Amino acid sequence: MKSTSLKVAALSVGLLLLAGCTAGGSNGSGNGGGSTEILKIGQIGDVSSWDPAQAHVGHALMPYQVVYDSLLRREPDGTLVPMLATDWAYDDSRTVLTVDLRDDVTFSDGTPFNAEAVKVNLDHFKGANGRQAVQLTQYQSTTVVDDDTVQITLAQPDPAMEYYLSQAAGLMASPAAIADGSLETTPVGSGPYVFDTANSVRDSQAVFTAREGYWSPDLQKFSGVELRNLEELSARVNAILSGQVDFTTLDAKSAAQAERAKLALIPDYQVDWTGTSILDRGGQIVPALADVRVRQAMNYAVDRETLLQELQLGYGTATSQVFGPDSSAYVPDLEDRYPYDPAKAKQLLAEAGYADGFDLTLPVISAFSTQVTAIAQQLGDVGIRVTQETVPGPDYVANIVQGRYPAFNFNLAQTETWVAINQLVSPTATFNPFDTTSPELEALLAKVQAGGADADAAAQDVNRYVTDNAWFLPLYRIDQIAAYDPTALTVQAQVQMAIPSIYNFAPAK
Amino acid sequence: MLMFTLRRLGAGVVLLIAITALTYTLLFFSSSSIARNILGEQATQDQIALKEAELGLDQPLPVRFFAWAQAAVRGDFGRSWFNGESVTDALVNRTPVTLTLMLVSIVLVAIVATALGVLAAVRRGWVDRVVQVGAVVGDAIPGFVLAIILVAVFAVQLAIFPAVSTIQPGAGAAAWIGSLTLPVIAIVLNYVTSSAQQIRSAVIKQLEQDYVRTLRSRGIGEGEIVLKHVLRSAAPAGLTVLSLQFIGLLGGVVILERVFAIPGLGALAVGATVRGDIPIVMGVVILTVLIVIVVNLLVDLANGALNPKVRLS
Amino acid sequence: MTDVIRTPTLTTRVPRGQVRRFLRNPLAVISLAVLGVIVALAALAPVIAPFDPNFADIGHTLADPGGANLLGTDSAGRDVFTRLLYGAQLTLLSALLCAVVAIGLGLPAGLIAGFYGGPFDSASSWVTNLIISLPGIIVLLSVRAALGPSVWISMVAFGILLSPGYFRLTRTAVQAVRNELYVDAARVVGLSDARIIARHILSVVRAPLIIQTALIFGVAIAVQSGLQFLGLGDPSEASWGEMLGDGFQNIYIQPLLMLWPVLAIGLTIGSLVLLGNAIRDALEDKRVVSAPRTRAARTVVEPAAEEIPDAADVLLQVSNLSVGYPSADGGHTPVVRGVSLTIREGEVLGLVGESGSGKSQTAFSILGLLPSSARILSGTIFFRGDALVRGGIRDAALMKGLRGRRIAYIPQEPMSNLDPAFKIGAQLTRPMVKLLGLSKKQARAQAHALLASVGIPDPDRVLGSYPHEISGGMAQRVLIAGALSCDPDLIIADEPTTALDVTVQGEVLDVLRSMQERTGVAVLLVTHNMGVIADIADRVAVMRQGEIVETGTVDQILAAPAHPYTQALLGSMLVGREPLTPLGIGPVDAPEPVLNRADRALALAVADSDREEPLSDAAETALREEI
Repeated sequence: MKSTSLKVAALSVGLLLLAGCTAGGSNGSGNGGGSTEILKIGQIGDVSSWDPAQAHVGHALMPYQVVYDSLLRREPDGTLVPMLATDWAYDDSRTVLTVDLRDDVTFSDGTPFNAEAVKVNLDHFKGANGRQAVQLTQYQSTTVVDDDTVQITLAQPDPAMEYYLSQAAGLMASPAAIADGSLETTPVGSGPYVFDTANSVRDSQAVFTAREGYWSPDLQKFSGVELRNLEELSARVNAILSGQVDFTTLDAKSAAQAERAKLALIPDYQVDWTGTSILDRGGQIVPALADVRVRQAMNYAVDRETLLQELQLGYGTATSQVFGPDSSAYVPDLEDRYPYDPAKAKQLLAEAGYADGFDLTLPVISAFSTQVTAIAQQLGDVGIRVTQETVPGPDYVANIVQGRYPAFNFNLAQTETWVAINQLVSPTATFNPFDTTSPELEALLAKVQAGGADADAAAQDVNRYVTDNAWFLPLYRIDQIAAYDPTALTVQAQVQMAIPSIYNFAPAK
Repeated sequence: MLMFTLRRLGAGVVLLIAITALTYTLLFFSSSSIARNILGEQATQDQIALKEAELGLDQPLPVRFFAWAQAAVRGDFGRSWFNGESVTDALVNRTPVTLTLMLVSIVLVAIVATALGVLAAVRRGWVDRVVQVGAVVGDAIPGFVLAIILVAVFAVQLAIFPAVSTIQPGAGAAAWIGSLTLPVIAIVLNYVTSSAQQIRSAVIKQLEQDYVRTLRSRGIGEGEIVLKHVLRSAAPAGLTVLSLQFIGLLGGVVILERVFAIPGLGALAVGATVRGDIPIVMGVVILTVLIVIVVNLLVDLANGALNPKVRLS
Repeated sequence: MTDVIRTPTLTTRVPRGQVRRFLRNPLAVISLAVLGVIVALAALAPVIAPFDPNFADIGHTLADPGGANLLGTDSAGRDVFTRLLYGAQLTLLSALLCAVVAIGLGLPAGLIAGFYGGPFDSASSWVTNLIISLPGIIVLLSVRAALGPSVWISMVAFGILLSPGYFRLTRTAVQAVRNELYVDAARVVGLSDARIIARHILSVVRAPLIIQTALIFGVAIAVQSGLQFLGLGDPSEASWGEMLGDGFQNIYIQPLLMLWPVLAIGLTIGSLVLLGNAIRDALEDKRVVSAPRTRAARTVVEPAAEEIPDAADVLLQVSNLSVGYPSADGGHTPVVRGVSLTIREGEVLGLVGESGSGKSQTAFSILGLLPSSARILSGTIFFRGDALVRGGIRDAALMKGLRGRRIAYIPQEPMSNLDPAFKIGAQLTRPMVKLLGLSKKQARAQAHALLASVGIPDPDRVLGSYPHEISGGMAQRVLIAGALSCDPDLIIADEPTTALDVTVQGEVLDVLRSMQERTGVAVLLVTHNMGVIADIADRVAVMRQGEIVETGTVDQILAAPAHPYTQALLGSMLVGREPLTPLGIGPVDAPEPVLNRADRALALAVADSDREEPLSDAAETALREEI
C-alpha cells in the first residue's frame, strides 16, 4: 500500500511527472467527463459511526441510505411509502403500530431480513444512546407477531413515529453485524450499495459498489457511490468546479461561481431557517426579555429583506415564523407578522418601560459572526445594546441548551411539525432551556400529540402562539445551494432534508 | 555514539511522559461538554450522564490519566470517542501522507535554501539583494494564502493538478504526486526564506573565519572551500533551523490539509482537539513527540558528525 | 627632528558607523519607513478611523471601495479601512506580546545556560525540549478551549511555545564563543561574567536574535490569521486574520476584500524581515574603517635607501605599494603607503613594526588575500618577473595559481586557522593532492615526513587528530608543515610565534630556522618582536604607520639603527617589560634606557595613533578593547 518504494517514487520523480497527472486529477475512477456510472458526492463531514443507531439527519443521514434500507421511505415531496415495510396501521389508542414486512430481502452478509431483525434493530437503537435517540422517546418495545409482522408499542402517541421510521430509527442493519459490534466501522445493510472497505478511508472517503440482486432495482441507479469528505467550503467549491465530485452543497456566496461554471442548482430548495431564538422568555438572565413587547420590538427592529439581500444574496425567503411551508403548522399570514418598523420597535420598548434600552449578551461563533453583527447593529439602532461573546465552536450548542445565554443564533431545520415542536417549543424541547410554557400552549400541544382531525388546526395555533409571543426572531428561510453537474446527473430536492435522499439521484441521460 | 543515543532515547522517554501528562491535563480542563458533543444537541441529562460514565469523564484527572497511560504502555490507545475508530488505525491511515508531505517539503526547502543562502553569501551585491527581497515576498504571504492562490490558478483554472487530494489506499504514485505537489510548493515557498537567511548568515560568518583565508593560501579553490569546508561548518545553523521548521510543520500542515482535503495527521489533530476526542488527541501527541525526539536526535548526531568540536559539549 | 604628528584618536569602534551603514542600505530605509507608517496608523486608529469598527451598515455589505468607505465594506457592512486600522493595533500588539514573552523566556535562559553550562543548562535544555516537543496546534487549541478565545491569551501561549527557538539560538551562539580566546582573555584581565556577557557575547548573539525576532513577528501574525481562518479565533475582535477569513469566504463576490488584509500582513511581515536582514548586515559585516581625517605629517628623516638588488637573484619585488580601505568620506584611507621591499632567493626578510603598522596588510597584498573591501591604490608586485600587481591592478588568476604552490603562508593564530571539522591529515594532504598531483597515499607519506621534519614526535597520531585535539604549538608546527608541503619558493610568516606560549615560541622558532636552513626557502617574516628578527632574519625592514622607515641587514639595524623609530623599537625589547604597553611608556621603575624628549614624544604620538589593522576578531578584541 504505502510502501517505501512508493514514497521514493513520489520523492524522486518530481517535476517531470507533474504534467502527466492531468488524467489522474479530474476523474479518479477512470471515467471520462460525462459518464456517471459512479455517483460522486462532496460531503460536509464524515460519518462518525456506521452504526445506524448513530445516524442523524440531513447530511448525516443520507450516507446511511446508501447502504441501509429503512422501514418506510419518504418521497421527495414528503409522502411516506413502503420500503422494507409493506403496510402499517395504528390501533385506536395510537400506541400500537402494526407493521407488515417484506419477506424477500436479505442483508449483504446473507442474514435474512425479518421481524426478528426489526426487533433487534429497534431495541438496539433505543439502547444505543445515539444522536437521534429522541426519535424513539416513546418507543417501549417490539413484538414479533410472525416472520413478517411486528407490533411496535409506544408509551404515548407520537405523531412523528411513522416519519421516524423513514429516518434514522427506521434504518435496518444486519442483526449479525449488530451482535458482533463491527457496525461502527463496517456497515452491513440491505441497501442498494455495499461498503467497499478496501477503498474507503476514514474521514476522507467512503466508497460503495452496487449490490448484486438488490430487491428494488429502481432505486439502484448507479454502479457505485463515492462520498468524499470535504469539510472546507473552499475544498467543496474547488472539487465541484474541477469535476472531482458531481454534487455538493455550497453557500450563497459561492453560488454565482457555480452558475458561471455551468453547474446547476436545485431550485426552490429550502430546509433551514436562520435567525435568533429568544430563549429567556422568563427573564431569568435578562429581565427585559420577559416582556412580550420587548421581544416583539426586537422582531420589528430587524430589516429582514435587507439582511436577506446583503448576507444571503437574496437566496432565501424572509419570514417571521419558524414553521416551514411543508409542515402542517404553517400559516401563510404569519410570513410577515413583523414587518421592518424601527419606530414601532422603539415605541414598544418605551411602553414596556425600556425607553433607554437594555443590555443583551449574544453568544457568537465564527459561522454566525456576520449575522450576529448585523442583528446587533439593528437592535442597537433601537436602543438595545448587544455584547458579543465568543464561544468555542463545539461548546456552542452545549452552552445554549444548558441555559447559559438568553438568546442565540442558529440555522434550524424546518421539519415535521411534531419534530419541530419537540425541538423548539415544548417544555422539554432541546432549545427551550428555560422551560417556557403556559397552560394554553400545553393544551394545544396535547391536541397535536393526540393526532386526528384537530391536529393540524392545533398545530397552526401553536405556530400563532409562539409567533405572536415572539419566542423567536427568525430572519429568513435559507435556500439550499445544492450544486450539481447537469451533464452527469439529475437530482430532486428532498423536502425538509438538507441534502437529497440517495434515491433522488439519477444519471443524466 | 551509542551511549549518547541511548541516553537521548532515555531522555526522550521521560520527555514523552512529561508531555503526555501536560497535554492530558490541558485537555482535561479544556472541554467540559464532550459527552454532549458526542450525543448531539437532542441529548437528555440522563443520556449525558450515561455517556460520561461510559467514557470515564466523571473521574478525577489523575485517575483518568493513569488509566489511559496504563493502556497506552501496553500499546492500547483506545478508540475514538466520536466514531469508534481505533486510534492506532487512525494514525496508521493518516501518518504516511502527512509525513511524506513534510519530508518532501523539508528536503526541497533544504536544497533550495542552501543554494540560495550560499549564492547570496558568496556573491554579495545585487544577487544578494534580489535573493533577499524575493525571499521576503515568499515569506511575507501566509502559507494558506499561498495555497489558495495556487489552487485557484493551477487546480481550478488550469486543471493541472487535482483540487482536492485523490490519495486513497491503493492509489499509485501519480495520485500522491498530483495531490501533494501544490501543498509542497506552498510549504516550500513559505519556509525556504527563513532557512536561506540563516544559512546565508552562517555562511557569511564562516567565510570571515581565519581558516578560510588559510585554506585559500594553501591553494584550495573557492568552490571547494565553500562546498566542502564552509557548508560543513555552517551546517549546524542550517540544521537547527530546518529541524525547527520540520517540527513546526507538524502544526503548519493543518491548514493546508484542510484547504486541500488531505487525509492527514494535522486535520485529524485539529478536529479531535476541537471536539474533545481525547483518545485520538493523545495518540497524535505521542506520535508527534516521537517524531520530535527522533528529529532532534538525528540533528544532534549530524551536528556531532559534522563538527567534532561540538562533541566536546 | 620630526614634527609632532597630530593624529586624533580613532573614532570609537562602533555605533555611529553601524547606524550610518544601516541607513545607507535602501531596503533598510524603506522597510523602516513602511513599518513606521503601519505602527503610526495603528497607534492613531481611534483618531483617523472614519467609523466605529463594529458599526455595520447592513444595507451596504461587500461594497466596492469608494464613497464613505475608502476600502469598501466587509460581509456585515463594516468599514474595511477602519477595521484594518484597529486590526493593526490588535495584530501588532499581540504579536509584540508573543515576541516579548518568547524573548523574555528564551534569551536569559539561553545566555545563562550557554555561558555557565552545568545543571542550569541541563535543566533548561530539558524544559526547552519539552516545549518544542509539545504539539503546538493542540496546545493552542486546548488553551483556547480552556481559557477563552482571546487573541492575547493565544499569543502568550504561542510566545511560550516559541521561546525554545530563542533559547537554542542564544545558547548555541554563546557556546560557540564561550571558548574563544578573547573571552578567556577578558576573564584573565578580570572582567566580571556579567560584563563579559554584556559586551562580548551579546554582540555575537545580537544578529541571529534580531533576525529571529523579525521572523517571529511574522510567524505570530501568520498563526493568528491561520487560526482565524480555521474559524478558531475570536470573531468579535477586528483583526487582520479575521478580515482574511471574511474575505476568503466572500472571495467569489468581492475578491478585493481579501486584498487588503493580505497587503497589510504582507507589507508588515515583509518589512520586518527586510529590517531584520538590514540590521544584521549593518552589525555583522567587517566594519568599514573610519580613519582619522587629518593626514599625518611626514617625518623629515628619509628612510634608508634601498639597496639596488641584483636582478637575477630577486624573488619578490614590491614597489611603491599602497593599500587602502574605504573611508567615511568616500575616499580611501591608506594603511600601506608607498611600501617597497625586495626579497632574494633563500633570503629571510624581517618586516617589523608595531600592531597597526601595516605589515600584515603588506603580507596579505603579496598573497592576494586582502579582505574584499581592501583596495590596492598603487604600486607593483613582481614575483619572479611575473607581475602580480601592476599599477594598482591585481592579477587575481596569477596570484591564485601561485598560492600554496610557490608562495605559502604561515598564519599567526594556529587554532583558528585550521578547519575544526576536518582531521589534520586531510587538511595537510589535500593541497598536495590538488597542487602536486600526488595520490592520497603519496600525500599522506609526504605529510608524515613533513610532520616529522617539524619536530612532531608522533606524526600518525597528529594526522588522525582533529585540530582541537592538539596543542597550540603542535598546531603551529602543522601549519608550518603545511606551508612547506608544496615546496614553495617564498613563505610569508605572519607573526608565527606571537600567539604561542613563551616556552613554545623558542621551539617553533627553532623549527622555522631549521626549516629555512634546510630547504633554502625565502621567508618574509612579519613580526613586532625584534628578538625574533635577531634570531632568524637576514635583512630587516621597519614599518611604521604604513611606511617603510628603514631597511638594512640585520646587523646594521640591530647594531646601528639610523631611524629614531627603529631605535625606539629596539629600546622596547620585551625583556623586562609588560608586553603590551604602548611604546616607550612603561612602569615608572622600568630599568630601560631613557629616550630623549623628542623621541619620547614621538613614541607617545605613535602610541596614540591607532590605525586599525584587520586582525582576527579574537586577537583584535583582546588587544583593542580591554587594554
